[in-house]
Amino acid sequence: MGKPTDLVQGTLDLLILKTLALEPMHGWAISHRIRAVSKEVLQVNQGALYPALHRLEQNGWIKAEWGESENNRKAKYYSLTRAGRKYMEKEEANWERLSAAIGLVLKIN
Amino acid sequence: MRWIDKLRMGVRTLLRRKAEERELDAELRFHLEHQVAQNLAAGMTPSEARRAALIDFGGVEQMKEDCRDMRKANWIEDLLQDLRYAARMLASSTGFTAVAVLTLALGIGANTAIFSVVDAVLLKPLPFRQPENVVALWETETAPGSFPLNGMDYLDWREHNKTFESMSLYSWPNSANVSANDTSEGAVIVRTQANFFSQLGVQAQTGRTFAEGEDQNGGSHVVILSDGFWKKQFGARQDIVGGTLRLNGEPYTVIGVMPVWYRMQATANLWIPLDMAKDKLGSRGNHQWRAIGRVKNGVTIAQARADLHAIAQGLEKQYPGNNKNVDAIVKPMKEDLIGDFQSQVLILFGAVALVLLIACANVANLLLARSTSRRREIAVRNALGAGRGRLVRQMLTESILLSLVGGLLGVVIAYLGATILRSVLPATIPQPNPITVGVLPLLFTLLVSLFVGVLFGFAPAMQSSAVDSTEALKPKGMAGDNASKRGQWLRDVLVVSEIALSLALLIGAGLLLRTFANLRATDTGVRGDGVLTASVLLPAKKYQTFEHGRSFYLQLLDKLQTSPGIQAAAITTKLPMRGGNNGYIKIPGQQEEEMTGPLVENTSVRGDYFKAFRIPLLAGREFQADDHELTTKCLREYLAAKTEPERTAVGKKYVLPAIINQTMARSFWSKQDAVGKVFESFVLFRVIGVVGDVKQQELRSAAMPEAYYPLEWDLTSPNSPYAIVVQGAGTGEALTGTIRGAVRSLDDGLAVIGVRTMPQIIAESMLDTQYEAVLLGTMAVLALILAAVGTYGVMSYIVGRRTNEIGIRMALGAARPRIVGMVLRQAGALVLTGIVVGLLGAAAGARLMQGLLVGVKPVDPLTYGSVAGLLAGVALLACFLPVRRAMRVDPMVALRYE
Repeated sequence: MGKPTDLVQGTLDLLILKTLALEPMHGWAISHRIRAVSKEVLQVNQGALYPALHRLEQNGWIKAEWGESENNRKAKYYSLTRAGRKYMEKEEANWERLSAAIGLVLKIN
Repeated sequence: MRWIDKLRMGVRTLLRRKAEERELDAELRFHLEHQVAQNLAAGMTPSEARRAALIDFGGVEQMKEDCRDMRKANWIEDLLQDLRYAARMLASSTGFTAVAVLTLALGIGANTAIFSVVDAVLLKPLPFRQPENVVALWETETAPGSFPLNGMDYLDWREHNKTFESMSLYSWPNSANVSANDTSEGAVIVRTQANFFSQLGVQAQTGRTFAEGEDQNGGSHVVILSDGFWKKQFGARQDIVGGTLRLNGEPYTVIGVMPVWYRMQATANLWIPLDMAKDKLGSRGNHQWRAIGRVKNGVTIAQARADLHAIAQGLEKQYPGNNKNVDAIVKPMKEDLIGDFQSQVLILFGAVALVLLIACANVANLLLARSTSRRREIAVRNALGAGRGRLVRQMLTESILLSLVGGLLGVVIAYLGATILRSVLPATIPQPNPITVGVLPLLFTLLVSLFVGVLFGFAPAMQSSAVDSTEALKPKGMAGDNASKRGQWLRDVLVVSEIALSLALLIGAGLLLRTFANLRATDTGVRGDGVLTASVLLPAKKYQTFEHGRSFYLQLLDKLQTSPGIQAAAITTKLPMRGGNNGYIKIPGQQEEEMTGPLVENTSVRGDYFKAFRIPLLAGREFQADDHELTTKCLREYLAAKTEPERTAVGKKYVLPAIINQTMARSFWSKQDAVGKVFESFVLFRVIGVVGDVKQQELRSAAMPEAYYPLEWDLTSPNSPYAIVVQGAGTGEALTGTIRGAVRSLDDGLAVIGVRTMPQIIAESMLDTQYEAVLLGTMAVLALILAAVGTYGVMSYIVGRRTNEIGIRMALGAARPRIVGMVLRQAGALVLTGIVVGLLGAAAGARLMQGLLVGVKPVDPLTYGSVAGLLAGVALLACFLPVRRAMRVDPMVALRYE
C-alpha cells in the first residue's frame, strides 16, 4: 500500500477499527494482526498506519493509552470508542454493499 | 464527536505539543524494537535484524510529519494562526485600523453607556430585600389616576389585611430650615414610619436607620442624612453620627447616613420619623400620604389587590361620605418608580443602536475599499490552495479582531459616558440603581463586538474572497474590473442605508427639538421676567399660632413692598408650575355630592400676586384689604370656637371672597358670568374675580381649574413653607439680597430657601424633554458625522476609480460642469434613494415616540423636509470634494493613473 488515497484510506480505517474491536492493541500488533488474519495478503505499511491511527484518534473514534506490553515495555495501546464502534458498523455496512455490488458487476461476464 | 470532545482534543494538542512529540517518538521506537525483536527471533543477526526492520519501516521523519499533519487539522491552531495574521495585517495599515477602531469604539461605547442605563433602570432588580414583594400603595378617587393615601384608610388596611407582611407610611418631600453650626440652609425632608427602611431591607452606610418605636409619642428627634447632603454640608465627616442639627429650630440627633445608591426619594436630603399618632394623620377624606407595602412570600400582586379591595369596599359602606369610590391601588414597586420612563429609555436604546449600524456600514465600506488593494494577496492565497471558506474565515477573524479592539476602547468611552450620564440626568429621572458599567453591560459589549464584527465583516469577506485568480494576478492595468464591479452594488447599498439611518435619527432628534421649542413657547399664563421667588419656613417653636404667622408675613410683605427696586411683592402658598394642593368643591343647588366634578387647585395669596406675574384680570376685581380682614375675622372666630357645633356655626356664618381662573369659571358655570357665584369648600366662597389660566403641572398638560383665596385662609398652620414673590427691575442677586434683608430684619434665625427666578422654575419643568433632546441630538450629530464620512469615503473611491476617465474626458475638451454633473448624478441617485428610504423609515418609527412629542405630529413636514435638505447638502458636499480634487489633476497624470 502506498500513500493512502481516499478509497484506500477509508478501507484502512475500517481494517484498523475492526481489528481494534476485538481488544486494545498497539500499532505493531495491529499491523501484525491484519497481516496474519488476511493470510499475508494485506500488508499494512507503517507509513500509512501511524498517520491513520493519529487521524482516527483526532476524530475521536479510537483512544490511546500507555500500557505495559507483553515484554514489559511501555507501549501505546489503542482502543475503540463508542463513536468509533458506531462509525465502524456504518462503514462495514457500506463496504459490504459496495463489495456485493462489485461482485455482481464482475459476475456478468 | 461532541463539540466538547473536539475542544478538549484541540486544547490538548496545543498544550501538549512537546509531550505529543515525545510520545510519537516513543511509539515509533517501540514499533521498531518490536520488529527487531521479531527478526532476531526469526534467526537474523542483530545488525541484519535492525537493518531489515528499518527498511521495512520506511522514512521515519516523513512518517512523523504525516502523523503531525493528521493532528494539525485543528481549528484552534487555525484560529491562532488567523489571529496572528490578522494582527499583523491590522498593525501594518495603521491609518485604516485607527479609523475603523475609533468608529467602532464610538458606536460600541455609546451603546454600552446607554445599555448601562437600560440595565440600571429596567433590568436590574430594585436594590431591596426580596424586591419582587415590595409594592407601592395608592388610592383611587372619583377622578381617574393614582391619588395619595388617606391616613385613616391606611390604618384600617394595615390592621385588617391578610396578605401583607408589613406596610409603611411616608410623606411627600417637604422643605425645612436646617441649621448646623452657625449656618442656616434649606433642605428637603421626608418623614417616614419607623419601619420604612427595615421593610425595604436597606441599611445606612454609616450609623443606623430608624428603630422600632421612634415614630411613637410625637416621633423621636432623630434624623438620617442623604449621602449628598452629608458630603456637601458636613464634608463627609465620619463623626457626624451622634451630632446634632436643628430642623426648623428643633434639635435632632443624626443617627445615620444613607448609602449613595439609595435613590428612592431622590430629592430628599433628610429623613425623620413620621409621628404615627392617629390624630396627626389627618381626617378621613384628607389624602396626603404615600405608602409602600411588603406582601407575604408567595402572595401575588393580584391577591394583595383583592385583599385591600375588599377592605376598601367595607370602608366605603362604613364611611359613605368620605370613602365613596375610594379603592386601593397596589402597584409593583418597579412599575411605580419607573413608570413611563421605560419607553424613553427604549427609544434612546433604539437610537444608539442605529448609530452603531451606521458605524458598521462605515467600517464595511473601509473593508471593501481595502479588499480591492488586497486582491493580489487573496488571489495568491487562493492559488496556493486556500479554499473560499478558509479565506472568508481568515477575513472574518480580521474583522472580529477589529471590532473586539474597538469594543475594548468602547468600554473606556462607555465608562466616561456613564459618568457623564450620572451627572446630567435630572433627579426627575428615576434611577433606582446607580448607572454603572457593570457585569451585564460588559457582557453586552463583548456580544455586540462579536456581532458587529460578523455584521460588517461578512459581506466584504464574501465579496472579496470570490476572486478570479488569473484575473487578479495579471499585471496592473491589464486586469479587468469584474471584482470591483461586483463590489459596487454592495457599496451602494451601504451608502444608501447609512444615509437612511442617519436621516431617521436626525428626524427623531428634530422632532424632540421641536417639542422642546414648543414647550418653551408654551404660554404658562405668567410673565416670568424680573420675577424672583424664594421660601421661608417658620419654626413651630417660635411661631405656633395663626396670629404669629399672620403678623410675620404681613410685616414681611410690607417691608418688601416698600423696598427700593421692588415693583410688586406677594406671599403665596403655591407658585405657578407647582401644583398638587387640590380638592373638590360643591356648588349649592348644582351638585348634591361634594366628591364629584373636576379637582380644583387651591392657592392662597396676599399682595400683588397677579401684578407680579402679570396674570390678567378678566372680570370682577382683585382682593382688597377688607377681603383679608373678613377672612381674618372668620378664622379668629373659628379658632376660638371650642366645640365642633360652634365651629360649624362659624363656618355657616361667613361667605368669604375667592378669585377663580378662566378654566374654573368655564367648568362650573359654563358661559354665564361667574362673578358673584357661590361655591363651597369647607365654607362658602363668593367669586369676586376671574383671572387668566396659569399652568400648574407640566407645560404639556392643560391648566386645571384653580381658586385663589386670601392668604389668611391658609395660615392656620403657619409652619408649612410659604413662597415669597418679588418682581422688580434689579438683577437676581439684588432681588435675593432684598428678600434676605427683609427676612433677617424680622428674624435673623430664618433661612431664605429655594431661591429661583421664574424662568428657572419653568426650565426645571422642561428638564425631561431637554435631556431627551440633548441625548438624541448628540446621537443624531454623531450619526450625521459618520454618514458624511462614509459617503465621502465611498465617493472618493468612486471618483478615484474614474480619475482616468475624467482625465480623458478633460483632455478631449469636456467642460468642467459637465463632468461635475456626471459624477454628481451618480452620487445623487444614491443620496436620493437613501433619503426616500430614511423618510419612510422615520415615518414608521416616529409613531413610537408619539408620547414624547408636544405640538408636533410624528410625521411633521417641516422637520422631515428640513432634515432631508440638511442631509442632502452634507452628502452632496461629501461628493463634491473628491470631484473637485479629481478635476484639478493634470490630464496627463490622470491618464497614467491607476
